Amino acid sequence: MIGTAIFKIGEEVGNVGQFGRFVWRSAVTSMQSIAKSDTYPLIWAQMLLIGVRSVPVIMITGAFVGMTLAIQTYDQLAGMGLEEHLGVLINISVVKELGPVLAAVMLAGRVGGALTAELGTMKVTEQIDAIESMGTDPVKYLVAPRVLACLLLTPVLIVYADLLGIIGGWFVSVVHLRINARAYWSFSAAGVELWDVTCGVIKGFFFGGALAVISCYKGFNCKEGAKGVGQACTDAFVISFISILVLDFAMVVIFKTIYSIFWPLKSLV
Amino acid sequence: MNNEQQTTGNEQTGVKPNDGLIVLKNLTRRFGNNVVLDDISLAIEKGKTTVVIGPSGCGKSVLLKHMIVLMRPTSGEVYFKRQRIDDLDSLSLNSVRAHFGYLFQAGALFDSLSVAENIMFPVSQHCQITRFSAVEELVRNKLKMVGLDGLQRFYPANLSGGQRKRVALARAIALDPEVILYDEPTTGLDPIRSDTINELILKLKGELGVTSVAVTHDMKSAYKIADRIVMLHNGKIIADGSADNIRNHPDPIVQQFIKGEISKKELEQLRKASAGSSVRLPCDVED
Repeated sequence: MIGTAIFKIGEEVGNVGQFGRFVWRSAVTSMQSIAKSDTYPLIWAQMLLIGVRSVPVIMITGAFVGMTLAIQTYDQLAGMGLEEHLGVLINISVVKELGPVLAAVMLAGRVGGALTAELGTMKVTEQIDAIESMGTDPVKYLVAPRVLACLLLTPVLIVYADLLGIIGGWFVSVVHLRINARAYWSFSAAGVELWDVTCGVIKGFFFGGALAVISCYKGFNCKEGAKGVGQACTDAFVISFISILVLDFAMVVIFKTIYSIFWPLKSLV
Repeated sequence: MNNEQQTTGNEQTGVKPNDGLIVLKNLTRRFGNNVVLDDISLAIEKGKTTVVIGPSGCGKSVLLKHMIVLMRPTSGEVYFKRQRIDDLDSLSLNSVRAHFGYLFQAGALFDSLSVAENIMFPVSQHCQITRFSAVEELVRNKLKMVGLDGLQRFYPANLSGGQRKRVALARAIALDPEVILYDEPTTGLDPIRSDTINELILKLKGELGVTSVAVTHDMKSAYKIADRIVMLHNGKIIADGSADNIRNHPDPIVQQFIKGEISKKELEQLRKASAGSSVRLPCDVED
């Protein structure tokens, strides 16, 4: 019993070590790929699949986040006579938290699942071995373009989610709930800073990098058969989701500390 | 190693790096507690076709993957052209692997690439392509060698099993390798397609003078293509010699395998195990 437990702990530690090496190798190879123009076509192709084709679903996610927030918070603010402050509440929630996190979760499902399934299938049909047998580094050929595409385009997609979230919030608040447009935007402009938008976009780099590396790792280490590929996809999504939440919390703490250091009075207000 | 000399076991324990083009020295590979390859020593001669036979799951494909270091040994050494390769980093290994062609059991063609792109893949990875027409010509030439010229624009999903193997073979020879490793080249093919693949292997050996290593349990194929046959059993080499040597090998395990017969003892066990085991379905099957 104790022996089995120790063996399992040892196995988990080994897996963490293996994942760490994979992350390091992916990071180094991705950096090298940026310097080599022969890998650009592979990166463009992944950017199309990962970035461009995710735009509609990300925009829909952002729009509904903004609209739902407006409906949910209107009654509380209206009860206190503060409905004209609805804009600042919606927009700060969208650009700082909900836009980046929900866009990343959506990408973990859409892109992460597809990456794991594709690479997992390549693994079980020996296509990854075939790449290696032909003297090509599979991390350079398969992982680096996907990591770079996710890293570069997740922040861009978050901007789309933010934009549609803001428009969705405006639509429900101003068009449907008849809040004064001028007051709505002036309170929003006063409450939402460039810093808030920047924080959300910076989060995108980390979320994109994390979900790409986790999905590729799970695909590369997937077990045999359809069940193995399915399990790898599930694991990739669950781990990516948890990583996004953990990274989000860590970054909120870091950004808050930085903000307090540079703008101590503002943070008190 | 003299092919005419029949051996009855793993007698190449004292192999040296210069005994062959590829040399495996005291190679052991474990998966957990399972020892798949147990202290194997083997020298592959240049320009010859060596066929590794053995029952399913005996470690033939694992042995083949060690020759190109797709798997690293638990212990032991792998040499190619006298250079130790099992301890090289992945960058150095990539240049070594450019000397090899590998035909995978199911072809392992890239689904997302066309036939022409699949064949161009190793070329694009190792050569600076200056003229696209030259690459097109190379692809046509390789496809002609395997009798499939005209399928350049097809995708793997549109090909039959035999065609996929032949395209995979065309891809394996794209860089004119010195060594071709064949993993079950005829498995899953009908007898005529199997013979086509055998003829192609012989043709490539004749035209390109390549060194070949094939793993198979198809004895008809083994007899046809082999200069030397090595049999693996329980992780060890139990027979090594020419096709004739293997046909007349005294070891009953070798004889049982090459004749494809179940032993009387195993048959008796099977009969005992299945006696009285017929169980009625727990429900009626609807028409």
